Amino acid sequence: MTPESKLDSLFAADAPSARDYAFEAEVARRVALRRAWLTAAATAPWAIVGTVLLWALVRSIGPALETTAEALAPTAMAATIATTGVIAALWLSRRFSAV
Amino acid sequence: MTLNDPAGDAALVARALAGSDAAFGRLVERHQAALRAFLRRVMGPARTEADDVAQDAFVSAWSSLRSLRDPAGFRAWLCGIAWRKAQDRIRASVRGAARDGAWLEAAAAGPPGVSPEDRLALAAAMQDLPPDVRACVALCLADGWSHAETAVALGLPLGTVKSHVARGRARLLMALGGTDDA
Repeated sequence: MTPESKLDSLFAADAPSARDYAFEAEVARRVALRRAWLTAAATAPWAIVGTVLLWALVRSIGPALETTAEALAPTAMAATIATTGVIAALWLSRRFSAV
Repeated sequence: MTLNDPAGDAALVARALAGSDAAFGRLVERHQAALRAFLRRVMGPARTEADDVAQDAFVSAWSSLRSLRDPAGFRAWLCGIAWRKAQDRIRASVRGAARDGAWLEAAAAGPPGVSPEDRLALAAAMQDLPPDVRACVALCLADGWSHAETAVALGLPLGTVKSHVARGRARLLMALGGTDDA
């Protein structure tokens, strides 16, 4: 065998197989991971904007909300008790019905 | 659609850019063997490291696919990404002893008609080549790329690629028992 043909044989011998499912699956996994990170990174600016907006909103209408909350507290409590009662009654009537 | 089919690559790149994971998967399928072979030859015996770089290159290619100007040149572009990553790894690699051990292990089995000594000699000669020369040899001699395509992929002048290939080939042939003017 000449050195040239040896060189050709050696280069041809160490080529990976044309299909490698494990390798392709690992690439797909890494791409999915990269996509997840990019998606998370893309939502970060919106989260910051939302936080700033909420902060500004609380500062501007916070005092007004406090007054309204005080006025609405008895009504909210009555509504909560009534709703809980209705749900409990419905559950009990189902639980102990004859069917 | 053959594996080295620029028109097919262009169509797959267009579909991948439109969001098709299946199309990108086909690109991986078509180019993984050539890319891994190139990286194994360039990075030497650290085969798992070469595969890791190959996977990394595919992920980088996926995330920067929009920057690919010529979709038909996907193979050369991908190889360029992998080459830059491999250079970083080669510079950072300090695991010489482990590499040598793996190199010898990898060189133990060879094709019929070629002795293990020849395989070891080629492996050692490849490792002795400077990284640029090794990359040119791997693409032009082992994978059959044209000089021009190699120059584009590696970002080297065409004349440099030609001289690297000639010099590298001569040194490899000498290691396999050839003469200096081979």
